[in-house]
Amino acid sequence: MRPGVRSTVDRLDAPSAYYHSRNNKRKRNDHGRDGKDSRDGDTDMADVKPEEPPEDPLRNSTTLYVGNLQSLKRERAVANRLNATWGVEDANQETYRSFYTTEEQVYELFSKCGEIKRLVMGLDRFQKTPCGFCFVEYYTHQDALDCMKYIGGTKLDERVIRTDLDPGFEEGRQYGRGKSGGQVRDEYRDDFDEGRGGLGRAIQSEKSERMRDSEKNREKDTHHEDDYGRLR
Amino acid sequence: MADYERRQPSGGGSGGYNNRKRRYRDDDEYDRRPQRRRYDAPLPVRIRKQLLGLAESPLRRWHEEVQSIAQVIADGYDDQELQTSFLDLVPQMVLEQPLKIPFVAAVVLVVNSLKPEVLDPLLARITSATEERAKEGEWRDVKLYLKFLACLQSCLKGDGLFPVLDELFSRAVDLQTASSDDTIGTELVKIILLTIPYILAAAPSTESEQKAAELMDKTDIIASEPHALQILIDPYHAERGTESPVANSSLIGLLQKQLQNEAANGWPLSCLPRPWRMPLEEIEQQEKLDNAQKHALPTIALPNKVTTGPRPLFPEIFYSVYIHQDIESVPPISNIASSVIRDALLDTINVLHFNRNATARFLIDADCYFAPGTFIKRATPFDRLRDMDGDRSSWKPEDVAVDAVFSQLLQLPTPEHKLVYYHSVLTEACKIAPAAIAPSLGRAIRYCYQNTHRLDLELSYRFLDWFTHHLSNFGFMWKWTEWVEDVNLPDMHPCKSLILGALDKEIRLSFAQRIKGTLPEPYQALIGPEKEQDTPEFKFNNEHTPFSAEGKELAALLKRKAPDEEIQPVIDRIHSAALDQSIDPLVTSTDVFMTAVCWVGSKSLSHVLASIERTKDRLLDAGAASEAARAQIITAVINYWSAHPGVAISIIEKLLNYSIVTPGAVIEWALVGDRAGPYGQALSKAWVFELVFHTVVKVTSRLRQVVIGGVTEGVQEEIAAMRELFKTMDDALVSWAQGTKDQLMDPVVPDGGEDLVKRWGERWLRVFRRRSAIEEAFLTSA
Repeated sequence: MRPGVRSTVDRLDAPSAYYHSRNNKRKRNDHGRDGKDSRDGDTDMADVKPEEPPEDPLRNSTTLYVGNLQSLKRERAVANRLNATWGVEDANQETYRSFYTTEEQVYELFSKCGEIKRLVMGLDRFQKTPCGFCFVEYYTHQDALDCMKYIGGTKLDERVIRTDLDPGFEEGRQYGRGKSGGQVRDEYRDDFDEGRGGLGRAIQSEKSERMRDSEKNREKDTHHEDDYGRLR
Repeated sequence: MADYERRQPSGGGSGGYNNRKRRYRDDDEYDRRPQRRRYDAPLPVRIRKQLLGLAESPLRRWHEEVQSIAQVIADGYDDQELQTSFLDLVPQMVLEQPLKIPFVAAVVLVVNSLKPEVLDPLLARITSATEERAKEGEWRDVKLYLKFLACLQSCLKGDGLFPVLDELFSRAVDLQTASSDDTIGTELVKIILLTIPYILAAAPSTESEQKAAELMDKTDIIASEPHALQILIDPYHAERGTESPVANSSLIGLLQKQLQNEAANGWPLSCLPRPWRMPLEEIEQQEKLDNAQKHALPTIALPNKVTTGPRPLFPEIFYSVYIHQDIESVPPISNIASSVIRDALLDTINVLHFNRNATARFLIDADCYFAPGTFIKRATPFDRLRDMDGDRSSWKPEDVAVDAVFSQLLQLPTPEHKLVYYHSVLTEACKIAPAAIAPSLGRAIRYCYQNTHRLDLELSYRFLDWFTHHLSNFGFMWKWTEWVEDVNLPDMHPCKSLILGALDKEIRLSFAQRIKGTLPEPYQALIGPEKEQDTPEFKFNNEHTPFSAEGKELAALLKRKAPDEEIQPVIDRIHSAALDQSIDPLVTSTDVFMTAVCWVGSKSLSHVLASIERTKDRLLDAGAASEAARAQIITAVINYWSAHPGVAISIIEKLLNYSIVTPGAVIEWALVGDRAGPYGQALSKAWVFELVFHTVVKVTSRLRQVVIGGVTEGVQEEIAAMRELFKTMDDALVSWAQGTKDQLMDPVVPDGGEDLVKRWGERWLRVFRRRSAIEEAFLTSA
């Protein structure tokens, strides 16, 4: 449809609320640094008008952030499986595969939208193993948009994956930002997600502690919003 | 029925999946937030919402809904904002939500009976937009606007829309007489024939019938003649001595006959909705409608020179995966319903590529947008159709919907959007209404499987790709037991080839053990232990492999990223040893080196890419040195990753990007010798087709980019190279297809395999000759 006209049906290739909230925060900070913070919103708007609107960093983006991948580690995968099935260790365990989504799987699926230029797996900061997200870079912006429309929200390795347009990979962003090295969301997850190692890691480590009160719970919920190892 | 209520109907399609605020399923169903104070949205906003939601609910009655919206619009029309938004929204809805066109038209007709001055600016808007789109060659948009105007025929003065159709026809005639390959004329005739039924449903009269008959007399010559290009885009590749099941199914040919049928029966057009027709109790409103003011339709000037538009046009064939069944679960091709419903669904699918959820919703709700009684109740099991009364419809709405998507998935030369879009539509439809859609998909899958031998090979591959991708979204569950007997067929049999290809693709999206777990016992042997291994063995670790020591040494050097000076001595040693054994030194060293590169990078694609990046100069030199060495690079990669061809294909794709191997080398490797499989078996392997197909697409799309980009330097060379590539393929494939290949002449060929190989050769040949023809057509048009 023509640009600028709102469609009668929502578009799936728009950036998510995550990106916008991040972006807005940053904008406010920038203003603060520029010393414009004394102005109120209205004058600020008036001030901006004559200038060119800031270039949208996603306008020609060819990169996607991909989240919610399988990220269970080998040891735990095997242990979980064995414990669940027989409750014992088994000599056969090396035949079990490491339970994280592999680059090859990502290639196989994401190539359906166009040739992949680069794939960067998100890694646990300490163990350097995949920790549940990756960046997929295509050659064209259109391929990235098509990926948002056709692949985001479908399954890979039997998990519903999430895609979001991304201004581009930078060195360092491949590492999880959680305290224990993985993704922040995996620290304080209170749902049991087998594909991501059961409960949140922080929760597991403080398991002996008494049940957290609801106050604390709410606090943790806000952590969910800052999930992913991305966009500092 | 249970599926109906899964999602609440939401104005104009639901939102995205990226709604991260709702993390729990419950949140979707019960909103526990404190209710915000209610306030009435501004009028234009309310009207927008109502218009967008038109006809979505099977619980609302059409005439009531239409009247109530029309009333609000007429009452508030003095509001400037409302006028603007209404005049913007109507044309937009016509283009974006084609299934609702008759309903939007009904609203406009009722508005006309209440406030006739609304119509003139609206008609002006639509007609000028139509002109605009015709100029751009956006023929689908033209068709949709005309469909809308056709629904308004009853409020148009004089002959209404007919003169426009006459004008379109005279254009079509000029184009068709000028060239037999013309496709725009065919498209224009299609538009005319698809517009006529809406005029007759909206304004049935003897004059209309007369006009339609005159028009159809004229279109007959063009519509009944098979198009020169039809043979090229037939989805079936019939075996010798047989006829394609769709040989007589050109879309406009069928339309012409269907309309003649309708005319002969007094135009019942029983599937079309007529929301502008009021029930008996609304006789007053009906009278108002009948006596409403008529308006002159502004002229729609067609451009002097019509163009194809952004997408190349091809004649269309009506394809269905259900028409062969013994019970009618979709309209038969003799019935106008088959074309009219398909047309509306296809436009919906292709227009709404930006929200597959909305598309899927429309497909599931398809029965809401056609006359009551057109379809049987949703999710009626196929077996139950047998017990139906004679005169009630047995058309399953989900079959009709799935059929429409399949017709796109299996459309030649290519559908409008990437194939994965159509995959995603089927996935969503299956998620929304699994009980209704899954059994329909099952029957479609069986049909494609049983007909894979005569399906065009490219389409067979597309089917395979969709099938496995679809399964990956639904726990890899399929009733493999029903094909269990085919497991023992020779690997070259089309069905067995499909099974093998499917298992490989499933494994790529998952892993061998998982897939094995979904298969009945007889299939287990098809997934060998080598497939369960993430990292293949390094053959040089085996002492008995020739050059084992050098292989290990090279691997060790590569692992510690040793400089090239340390590598060269080992290569030299291989060279001299090879010379002593009188084998090709460069080929030998290339095999050892490339295999070592693969092994060192076996941990993941990133590893192997980094490993290639570090050694690319050496590989480039080897590849440039001789054809045999170039082929050996490919052989080494494919041999190392033989259990996981998907990985091998990705690596070769990157080697092509680095120009370490050439497209020509890949084609030669796959098709000329027997490196990809003895006795022509390569031709039956899905992954070989994938490798070659991707390579060809890479070459052709690069050339297109260059040509479109207007670069002139070196273009002629690239064109020549592409032609050379197609020629190589043609030569190789012709000799397979005709059985003149040395390997085929060899008496060692297993029994009966020869005919199979020839057939595979023919199928390959058809695919790449078509590709070549299409590229040539592109070059002449560019």
